[in-house]
Amino acid sequence: MSYLSLTNVTKQFGDTVVVDSFNLEMEKGEFVSFLGPSGCGKTTTLRMVAGFEVPTSGTIKLDGVDITDKAPNQRNVGMIFQAYALFPNMTVAQNIGFGLKVRKMPSEEAKERVNEMISLINLEKHAHKYPYQLSGGQQQRVSLARALAIRPDVLLLDEPLSALDAKIRVSLRAEIRAIQKRLGITAIFVTHDQEEALSISDRIVVMNVGEMEQVGTPFEIYNFPKTQFVANFVGSLNNADAEVVDPANGILAMDGVHFKTADEGMKNRRKGEQVKISVRPERFSFAVEPLKDNVVESTIENITFLGSVVRIQISIGSTKFNMDTFNNPFLELPAIGAKEKVMCSKEAVLVL
Amino acid sequence: MSFWRRLRKFPFLSWLWLIIGALYFVLPLIATLEFSLSWDPELPLKAYQRAFEDNDFWETFLYSNALAVATIVVSVILIVPTAYWIRLRLPEARRLVEFITLMPFVVPAIILVFGLIRIYSSSLDVPFTEIELMPPLTNFKMGTNILIVAGYTVLAMPYMYRSVDTGMRTVDIRTLTEAAQSLGASWFTIIARIILPNIRSALLSGALLTFAIVVGEVTLASFLGVDAFGPYLFLIGQHRAYEPAALSFVTFLLTWLAMGLIQLFTGGQGQAAGAH
Repeated sequence: MSYLSLTNVTKQFGDTVVVDSFNLEMEKGEFVSFLGPSGCGKTTTLRMVAGFEVPTSGTIKLDGVDITDKAPNQRNVGMIFQAYALFPNMTVAQNIGFGLKVRKMPSEEAKERVNEMISLINLEKHAHKYPYQLSGGQQQRVSLARALAIRPDVLLLDEPLSALDAKIRVSLRAEIRAIQKRLGITAIFVTHDQEEALSISDRIVVMNVGEMEQVGTPFEIYNFPKTQFVANFVGSLNNADAEVVDPANGILAMDGVHFKTADEGMKNRRKGEQVKISVRPERFSFAVEPLKDNVVESTIENITFLGSVVRIQISIGSTKFNMDTFNNPFLELPAIGAKEKVMCSKEAVLVL
Repeated sequence: MSFWRRLRKFPFLSWLWLIIGALYFVLPLIATLEFSLSWDPELPLKAYQRAFEDNDFWETFLYSNALAVATIVVSVILIVPTAYWIRLRLPEARRLVEFITLMPFVVPAIILVFGLIRIYSSSLDVPFTEIELMPPLTNFKMGTNILIVAGYTVLAMPYMYRSVDTGMRTVDIRTLTEAAQSLGASWFTIIARIILPNIRSALLSGALLTFAIVVGEVTLASFLGVDAFGPYLFLIGQHRAYEPAALSFVTFLLTWLAMGLIQLFTGGQGQAAGAH
């Protein structure tokens, strides 16, 4: 049996359905991200797990116990907010110890736990400082320690990195993941940043306007998106219109150029049907292996240098595609306007 | 050359207005001080000596102080949770409550005190019976104390509510509440340990204003017939010459002292709030 389960959880505000029958089973120690654009219902779902919102219908069970209507202070759930939410009138140590004091833990034991948490986040030198004396990254680490000090059953993180600058965001997310793994704590992480979700999670729930689009490992979500929305939201993508030519063999035509796809759903399509195809930019490459599935003629339109990656805009027929290739100092780039053969495997061509 | 340039830059007009404004406040004060010292040229502090020797002065002054403290406590207990709840859950009720808290500015204290006397000078019975639930509050000392503190709480409400509400605006009440809740805190703990300490400076200024209002108040005190400091000052003012001047100068000094203390206490807090 799963540790945390949400069954048909629905939340309405007036007539607006914010979350529509959300279903999720989480194992103990699992790290799941809710990923989606703002207003997709990810934060509302998290707040229902925390107890700040009550579902309109559906049940939430934690370790077999129905907690759907339990008050937030009865749940033993740790919460981390985007705005840190440290108590300004308390020092770092007092903030971390607050939950323990509320639980009336004996002071010796509480002191020990607070010290343990402070060393977990490497802020030994700052224990007696007030929140306003700390940087954003440090404040969020204190907030993490405060949430973990009460040994919560679930750790909930509501866009915890969004207010931080890029470098700290990357290092803190690695730190959060390392601590979560070390303590074996079950965690839900809400974010609108696909890179964050891909790098940190065991599984990702992609959400859009209140509905779950897809649930899967980062690998599945990125490589085998099930819907157009997931494909577009996670990573960058080339989209084009195509026509089904041979459903049995997975042959499509785009501007008269034939493409082969490994998409399973092709068998159920009719000849002549209009479909959308998607190919990730990094799945294209210049044709050096003549035996690849799709080797097509293209024209180089533009070349953009992005640092580690070089993005080359090509046109196949009248459709423009992006093609990404890793940068290296010995890279020989074609001239703009040149004709080059490019290729991609049949697995790279997604029909959505 | 540079002297003339500096002279031209000097904001004469601003300083002129500042000086006129300062004179408007300071001149009467100097006059009061001067007059209070002129009773006996041999003994300049005679007025002060006489005023402080009066037993009634100490009794009424201490009594009014006690009333002020009681009013502040009642106000905090009533207003902090109200303002907190409105910010947290009922933001749409804010305009209504603000309107209500402004009522004491519109309705004069004399009307308030007549209302209080009219209602509480008869006993409260169970309807259609002779069973008395509450005796007439105006008939005994403690009852009158309760009435006057209730009246003062109403008079102080605009100042207290505004201070508290402004104080709550500077902290993220909602997120702090949720953080505390997720850590297991009850409502009482949240208000006592998180909300109150974070609006300390706002509470202090609300408390000072309340104190100033209560200690000098005349209308409620005289109509309810209590021996408070306001009516005492009024009486002295009518019957003596030099002591009232001495007393009002002392009152000024006390007010300044209190303001200085607030500055002292809230200095650090203001800095902390500024970081958010």
